[in-house]
Amino acid sequence: MINIDCYAYSNNLKTVHPLEKSLFAMLTMVVCLTSSTVVIPLIVLAFMAGGIIFRAGIPIRFFLHLMLVPLSFLFISILTIAFSISTNPSGFWFAQTINGLTIGTRYPDLIIAIHLFLKSLGAVSCLYFLALTTPMTEIITLLHRMKVPVIITELMVLIYRFIFVFMETAITIRRAQSSRLGYISMKSSYRSLSRLFSALLGKVFVKSQELYNAMAARGYTGEIKVLTKKYPVSLRNYILITGFELPLILLNLLGR
Amino acid sequence: MNLPEVIIEAVDLKYSYPDGTNALRKISLQVKKGEKLAILGSNGAGKSTLFMQFNGIYRPNSGSIKYQGQDITYTNKALIELRKKVGIVFQDPDSQLFSASVYQDISFGPLNLGLSEKIVADRVKQALRDTETTNLEDKPTHLLSYGQKKRVSIAGVLAMEPEVIIFDEPTAGLDPRHSLEFMQLLKKLSDSGKTIIISTHDVDLAYSFADRIAIMCSGEVIAHGEPGELFLQPDLIKRADLALPWLIEMHSELVKKGWLPPTTPLPKTKEDLLNNIPVKGGQQSA
Repeated sequence: MINIDCYAYSNNLKTVHPLEKSLFAMLTMVVCLTSSTVVIPLIVLAFMAGGIIFRAGIPIRFFLHLMLVPLSFLFISILTIAFSISTNPSGFWFAQTINGLTIGTRYPDLIIAIHLFLKSLGAVSCLYFLALTTPMTEIITLLHRMKVPVIITELMVLIYRFIFVFMETAITIRRAQSSRLGYISMKSSYRSLSRLFSALLGKVFVKSQELYNAMAARGYTGEIKVLTKKYPVSLRNYILITGFELPLILLNLLGR
Repeated sequence: MNLPEVIIEAVDLKYSYPDGTNALRKISLQVKKGEKLAILGSNGAGKSTLFMQFNGIYRPNSGSIKYQGQDITYTNKALIELRKKVGIVFQDPDSQLFSASVYQDISFGPLNLGLSEKIVADRVKQALRDTETTNLEDKPTHLLSYGQKKRVSIAGVLAMEPEVIIFDEPTAGLDPRHSLEFMQLLKKLSDSGKTIIISTHDVDLAYSFADRIAIMCSGEVIAHGEPGELFLQPDLIKRADLALPWLIEMHSELVKKGWLPPTTPLPKTKEDLLNNIPVKGGQQSA
């Protein structure tokens, strides 16, 4: 997760306007999820993988590693859709009957399962594209521009920042505990972990007070106002996005 | 009566925390415009608490803070006005930087002053230049080193263009090279006319940096004056749980053992001290 965040700040597409990247990822995801043929998810997957690896310059190993993460979840859910158990052996395409119970897969179910599998994978690749190319801070700014309530975007700003602060604290505490054999047995692990959490909770309160003081010292009066960096708007990118999405949408409609 | 050059002043300030700890007991301290003041004191002497008073974050139980002779009234408007003039750089940059974006974080202060986006953008750029952090602009704060975070937190304060900048333990946690660079940055700010207040327990640093030193001990200012004067009173330094700067110790020892005439001026830097030491027995220096 931390690596994804690092790449978001250092990939080759970091100078592209965040709106263009979000639009591309989100539109493609919607098209992929509403697709009725297996062709579209395959095209989406190929384009997103190409975009992530060749345009954004994310190492292929890292990308494949990321794609493996949802794969295990997907396989389990796909299996339950593709395979069924029935007392009636008719209609099965591939089955095994044991003691009158038939376990197997029906052809339409298999197609649905494969379609669902590819659809999910395609959608995930769209999300990865966004996560790997667009820093969280820019996504929050976009949400703010899209009139998402301020309370949500401000909380996102603070939560995102403090995930890292507290993670660092937690790692330090854990290290200090391990160096005194805090995780040597199951019992001591539980005890150490509970202490880690209570120590962290205490720190959360202290830090939040410090943060408030520091913000007040800079004139905070209840609303977090920040300036966001301007990105060049590229007409070419919008044309490219339209040129990519339109055929896909048409293909989608034709496939129905 | 206030002398005109006093920019910020604590008058008979008393403050205790809600848990009853008497953090400040009747503190009176004047800070002169354009000076470099170091507040020395051991841990828990009340330095940070005093700083929170200077910026109006804490309100005194009795006594007052005066800015250019005027009592702070603690209305919202007065507080904004005070915070515009007096900036604090906190000790821990992780509790000061609230945004993951360096650029956004620096723009926070000036935007709160109600400036236009154009002016704020210019100020952010200038602050990045002044703190030599322009190359960090696009980096997220959590990927910065401690020293870089510290610089960014200064930029966040500089962008508000305060007249007085308070640094709480500026070199704590920095290695010698970075603390040297950091002190050079502080000198640069001072040369540009800002009033600088630092808190530290590093006596060497306070001695060579400050024009004036105030020594705090358990919530009181027990002495203030020129560095040379204060550090020649070993009892006082001991009472405040501090140590003598090595320059002064060395100088005193050289004077005591007859290597230097008692009239030799106190060295302010290592170079001063080395230059003061005469060449032995009329040998020519190379």
